[in-house]
Amino acid sequence: MALILALTQQMCLYMVIVYLVSKTPMFKLFAEASTRLPHKVYIYLVFSSFCIMATYFGEQAHGAIANTRAMGAVLGGLLGGPTTGLLVGLTGGIHRYSLGGFTDLSCAISTTLEGFSAGMMSYYLRKQGRSELVYHPFLVGLVTFYAEMMQMCIILLVARPFDDALALVRQIAPPMLMVNSIGAALFMSIIRDQKTMFDKLSSSFSTKALKIAERSVGLLSKGFNEKASTQVAKIVIEETAVGAVAITDREKLLAFIGIGADHHIPGTPISSKITMDAIHQNKVMFADGVETPYACSISSSCKLGSSLVIPLRADNEVIGTIKLYEPKNKLFLNINRTLGEGIARLLSNQILYGRFEQQQTMLTQAELKLLQAQVNPHFLFNALNTISAIVRRDPAQARQLLQQLSQFLRINLKRTTGVVTLGDELEHIDSYLAIERARFVDKLQVNIAIDSALYGMEMPAFTLQPIIENAVKHGTSHLLEQGIINVSAERDKRSVTLVVEDNAGLYQAKKTSDGLGMNLVHKRIQNQYGTRYGVNVSCEPDVYTRVTITLPYRND
Amino acid sequence: MISCLIVDDEPYAREALAELLEQQADIDIIGQCGNAVDAMQTINREQPDLVFLDIQMPRISGMELIAMLDPERMPRIVFVTAYDEFAIKAFDNHAFDYLLKPLDEQRLQQTLSKVRRDLTPQILTPVMPVHLEHLPCYSGNKLKIIAVNEVEYAFSDLTGVHIATAKEQVHTELTLKVLEEKTPLLRCHRQYLVAPSAIAEIEVLETGGEVTTHSEAKIPVSRRYLKVLKQAFGFN
Repeated sequence: MALILALTQQMCLYMVIVYLVSKTPMFKLFAEASTRLPHKVYIYLVFSSFCIMATYFGEQAHGAIANTRAMGAVLGGLLGGPTTGLLVGLTGGIHRYSLGGFTDLSCAISTTLEGFSAGMMSYYLRKQGRSELVYHPFLVGLVTFYAEMMQMCIILLVARPFDDALALVRQIAPPMLMVNSIGAALFMSIIRDQKTMFDKLSSSFSTKALKIAERSVGLLSKGFNEKASTQVAKIVIEETAVGAVAITDREKLLAFIGIGADHHIPGTPISSKITMDAIHQNKVMFADGVETPYACSISSSCKLGSSLVIPLRADNEVIGTIKLYEPKNKLFLNINRTLGEGIARLLSNQILYGRFEQQQTMLTQAELKLLQAQVNPHFLFNALNTISAIVRRDPAQARQLLQQLSQFLRINLKRTTGVVTLGDELEHIDSYLAIERARFVDKLQVNIAIDSALYGMEMPAFTLQPIIENAVKHGTSHLLEQGIINVSAERDKRSVTLVVEDNAGLYQAKKTSDGLGMNLVHKRIQNQYGTRYGVNVSCEPDVYTRVTITLPYRND
Repeated sequence: MISCLIVDDEPYAREALAELLEQQADIDIIGQCGNAVDAMQTINREQPDLVFLDIQMPRISGMELIAMLDPERMPRIVFVTAYDEFAIKAFDNHAFDYLLKPLDEQRLQQTLSKVRRDLTPQILTPVMPVHLEHLPCYSGNKLKIIAVNEVEYAFSDLTGVHIATAKEQVHTELTLKVLEEKTPLLRCHRQYLVAPSAIAEIEVLETGGEVTTHSEAKIPVSRRYLKVLKQAFGFN
């Protein structure tokens, strides 16, 4: 009985050590079923020392030692596999042998076999694809129990004189069987609990983070303003269940949701020092309410007691902050702290993307303005020359052409970069073609066959006209024979395809001057309606160049 | 009388210029052309004193046209353009004659009086392209534009100059001399030019040699040009 108590005491000491280790990062090494060598070495070292310590702390009994060495060998085998198990057992065994006594040899053999057989067990389970059973306390207890039974048999077989051995086994078998089995089982149970807790925590963390990312996607890319910020703040508070969430830019509060919303009013300037510090030092600021006190800078009756302020960055420059709060009666959870930083990164990326997109649009608009300003001077002067030639023989036609030229120029100069109808665009094309027809007389023929039912459909201004101008400028005007341009439209359920085809077939993809106008039209359509739409060119040299413009069709 | 030709692809532009020129007692308009190919034919045939030449024209520009003309028979050229920044700068730099569209009558008078004083053609090399890319040709009565890199060889006979590609043989108004100067074709015989890229074989004979092209045409090589031809391929 005294032996049971003594051994239990010993086991308790181990449990305390294991429990402490389980609180450190080292614990992860137990919980992982890794096959890498450093890991195995680690397992070997830890459990070999367990074996050696167990031998030292063992109770002297009848010239032998009652101990918990089996625990070390079995656990080493289960966690490290056959080789590691064998080595752990061998180390423990040799150490035991060096201490002498009439069971020295039998103990050395049995410890080695214990480690090895536990390792084989672990190997078998892994092969069966049921390696999670290694962490099952009951199984571990059972394995240890068998291992100890084996040890007892070996003592009886190997240790001489047999009578002494038998007497010894009688005395030490029950306490050693019991304590070792229970100890190993408890050890594994601690590891398993820690592992489960860790898994749960990280899975709930990633679920939360993913959910926030999924719900907030695209919100801030439209612009970093009060409306979008409020939506994001709402999502964050719903997913994290913190006391309150705020989003600021560099100067003022953009959104505030949760406890204290009555006096934290969006649109007011930033008043708390901690936020200013976060912005100016580009650093995460945390006032946990315990070591660093947090006090609301607006109202003394504010219930908020702790605050985390994370800067939002775009291109390394702080453009605002996101703040998480907890009330005075709640602790600020560590998980929310990490999560908060993740959210800030996510939002920063979105804002950056939004800015990038905005710049792209601005660039396109600038390019368009440039294009508009560049009314092809060759066209303009030739038009004037044509009119001046016609003036003498047909003043009425000349007047009409001047009308059309002014209208063309007026639309070109006045038209915004916005959306127009197909009808508007065709009108613009009409005045353009009136001039070109006068210039080339019967050398240019343009057939426009578009159902008037489509005249109401919308498109970015300057979509069709530049394409037709290209067809003349880079296509038919280079023909020695008559140039023919056919313009048509096809409609299906969701889109309209406008086709401009000339009979020159002189399109060359490499020619940059050619591409600018067309590229711009393509880019603007994609920006506005998405990548399913845009401009496409096909060309059969010397036969045709066909440009297709695909636009969305809305049946309203 | 000064004989003159108007070359412009826009009918009204030709008409406007013709109207102004008809008022001049000493100017005789011998024709109007709507493209460079017609113009080259007319210039070679009629040999006008003066040509009003639009720069921007289909397929072959005014600049390319002057590069295609035989320098010995070059008329005096007055360029006409609506808008071409670079060309205008070049014209100003070299004091070449040019008119801007829409036409200014006074400016035309100035140009005409300059031309009346001295009808000698100007040396237009600075504005001419150094290499020709497209060659205007005829196959029967049909006009064809042949890309220079398709040409295998060119030769002259009693009926004129001919250009051969792997597919066909066509007639051209260009002289062998212009082709030799403005294209990669090499002289191999008094009457033959060959594209180095088209040569599959050179056989050395007593009389000189014979070239076989990739499309298996045989071209004579005279002794005088054999050395040059061999040198072009790195033989001595």
